[in-house]
Amino acid sequence: MDALARQCPGKSLNFKKPILRILVIDDDECVGAAIQAILARGRHETTLALRACDGIKALQSPGFDAAVVDLFLPGMSGLDTIAHIRQRSAIPIVAMSGFRLRNPSNAIDYVSMAMQRGASTFIRKPFASQQLLEAIDRSVNCASSIGGSTQ
Amino acid sequence: MTRRKTDDAQADEYEIGHPSAERARAMNEVAAAISHQLNGPLTALLLYVGDLSQNSDRFPAADGTGQSLKQVADNALREAERICALLLRIGDALEAPLQEQTAMTHGREVIAWWSRVGNADGAGSEVQAARAACEPLTPREREVLQLIIEGCSNKEGAARMQISHRTFECHRAEVMRKFAAKNAADLIRLSLLIPKSPSSSLWRDTQ
Repeated sequence: MDALARQCPGKSLNFKKPILRILVIDDDECVGAAIQAILARGRHETTLALRACDGIKALQSPGFDAAVVDLFLPGMSGLDTIAHIRQRSAIPIVAMSGFRLRNPSNAIDYVSMAMQRGASTFIRKPFASQQLLEAIDRSVNCASSIGGSTQ
Repeated sequence: MTRRKTDDAQADEYEIGHPSAERARAMNEVAAAISHQLNGPLTALLLYVGDLSQNSDRFPAADGTGQSLKQVADNALREAERICALLLRIGDALEAPLQEQTAMTHGREVIAWWSRVGNADGAGSEVQAARAACEPLTPREREVLQLIIEGCSNKEGAARMQISHRTFECHRAEVMRKFAAKNAADLIRLSLLIPKSPSSSLWRDTQ
């Protein structure tokens, strides 16, 4: 909860936090807008894409620091989107989904499927702002410690 | 289709009236699709209310209303968190025999089905169509529908009703047509959304 407060108004800690450019791919416009509002509190810039193809197109321009991708999208699915992005870029990817149907015996879940395709981390909807900010931090830190070039 | 057959065979070995695997699966799918649709607005709500609560110290405090507004914002956040916790617990209970290769397409199909059927804007036109279809179902067709819902194959349904395989298939085709159902899973899901009220002609004879 206090992660947001920490980053909120122009107080001391803010100087150390880099401003990130984040692409959000989610077909629910209201969720995208809420994420954008929260990230703006952390002084991050957000670009919204309602469809996978728009998101992929947006990523062709350089400068994004991370992508937040919903798994269930119309058209190209979030899993395919993650695989597609990962083949072309090392950009940190936060996968998110609220769909909970799972297989009791084989333990198939969408979390592990997203991670297999190259997601850096996963958050379950609904999430609090702190969880979102931590997930983005985690994926960005992880990517920069691995190899650097996240363009 | 092949899985359905083995499920049917298993279901008949157990007692009649035991909810079939197919029906249990359909119920879980409907619940997963509904909770999936709740996830979007709840995510946005939690983020907004969290933000209000975080920034509530900036509310005007001149006449003491600031303090009570802050309390309201904190309470709103707590309630939103309670609903989210409930939804998570519901999600934990939803299980279905998914295969890794089909899990994604299956999930997408269920979500698409629910947004067609259960969306508030569309007022559930498919459900209304199904409800409208209830009236003209003949008693025989109602019986067939009940057996399909229980997970019977054509052969087993025919045996239970003591009619020919062919006749059962005809009734079944007619029920599917009246419900405008694309397949058995579609039919079962639709039937789950029709209230089992005493006034509903669909269920009066079978319950």
